[in-house]
Amino acid sequence: MKHLIVAGRRIELDKDGYLLALADWSAPVAEALAQQEQLTLSDEHWQILHLLRAFYAEFQLSPANRPLIKYVALKLGPEKGNSLHLNLLFKGAPAKLAAKLAGLPKPTNCL
Amino acid sequence: MAKSLLIISRQSPWSGPSAREALDIALAGGAFDLPLGLLFLDDGVLQLAPAQQPAAVQQKDLAANLQALPLFGVESLYASARSLQERGLEPRALTLAVEVLDDAALIALIDRYDQVITL
Amino acid sequence: MATLHVLSHSPFTDSRLSSCLRLLGPADGLLLCGDAVYALQPGSAQCQALDLMPDGIGLFALDEDLGARALTAPARIQVVDYPGFVELSCRFDKVNSWL
Repeated sequence: MKHLIVAGRRIELDKDGYLLALADWSAPVAEALAQQEQLTLSDEHWQILHLLRAFYAEFQLSPANRPLIKYVALKLGPEKGNSLHLNLLFKGAPAKLAAKLAGLPKPTNCL
Repeated sequence: MAKSLLIISRQSPWSGPSAREALDIALAGGAFDLPLGLLFLDDGVLQLAPAQQPAAVQQKDLAANLQALPLFGVESLYASARSLQERGLEPRALTLAVEVLDDAALIALIDRYDQVITL
Repeated sequence: MATLHVLSHSPFTDSRLSSCLRLLGPADGLLLCGDAVYALQPGSAQCQALDLMPDGIGLFALDEDLGARALTAPARIQVVDYPGFVELSCRFDKVNSWL
């Protein structure tokens, strides 16, 4: 079983590296997940991660790319809610990678 | 131009996987920008009833998921007026903004789509 | 665009048949297969309702499923075999399976 050790706590991951328990998420866990992806989280990243968690709280599912872009545009405006910005932040796979870093399940409607 | 698809969802959220499967088809199709419609018919309108508590039977929150349809590009949402009335559901109280249609309008709706599937 | 509606559940256990009959367009067709052929049970309200459907609507039942249940289709119903089923699926603009 994959796992991370964050601040002495063992955090279980699924085979694709997503958190098994949503409640395990915290800022240090997000940093550790990002490190595994060779990514350093900037304010821009955090803004999207917090928004994704709000999306999940509202709809109880992880968005595919299109709805993610739409939702970000709705909440933060079109400068942030466009595929170029999100692709640059999340290595070309915003729905999958941002969901992983935000501690959400893997998006199911996203090939 | 992609073929348009009407999904008719006619089972309650609690009767098995049908309601979720219909929603999954809609979300997947919407994510790929297919022209989609979703019609709630028969017990399917019970998916729109307010204040349901899926946690009481350890189920996922279908009503919350349904709210995501417009973000997935699925904005053509319909419900049968007759099915609502039979079950004593007020169109104004539904958890999702749907167009309520009588039987004649439903016949025209089904006619308009290239493909139809009923779950 | 005319639709061929395909039913395969017994009309005595749920509302598929009655809902479908209300939603048939003037040029639509209805094919009964599996337990849906029980709608042709003689003397049943369902059988009467089918008999009264407007002439423009094609009503079909699958021969094998009738035979298995020892049912005979009334004159209003056209009996088809599997090749007939395929032919019908092509004849209509679309097929709506009531799963």
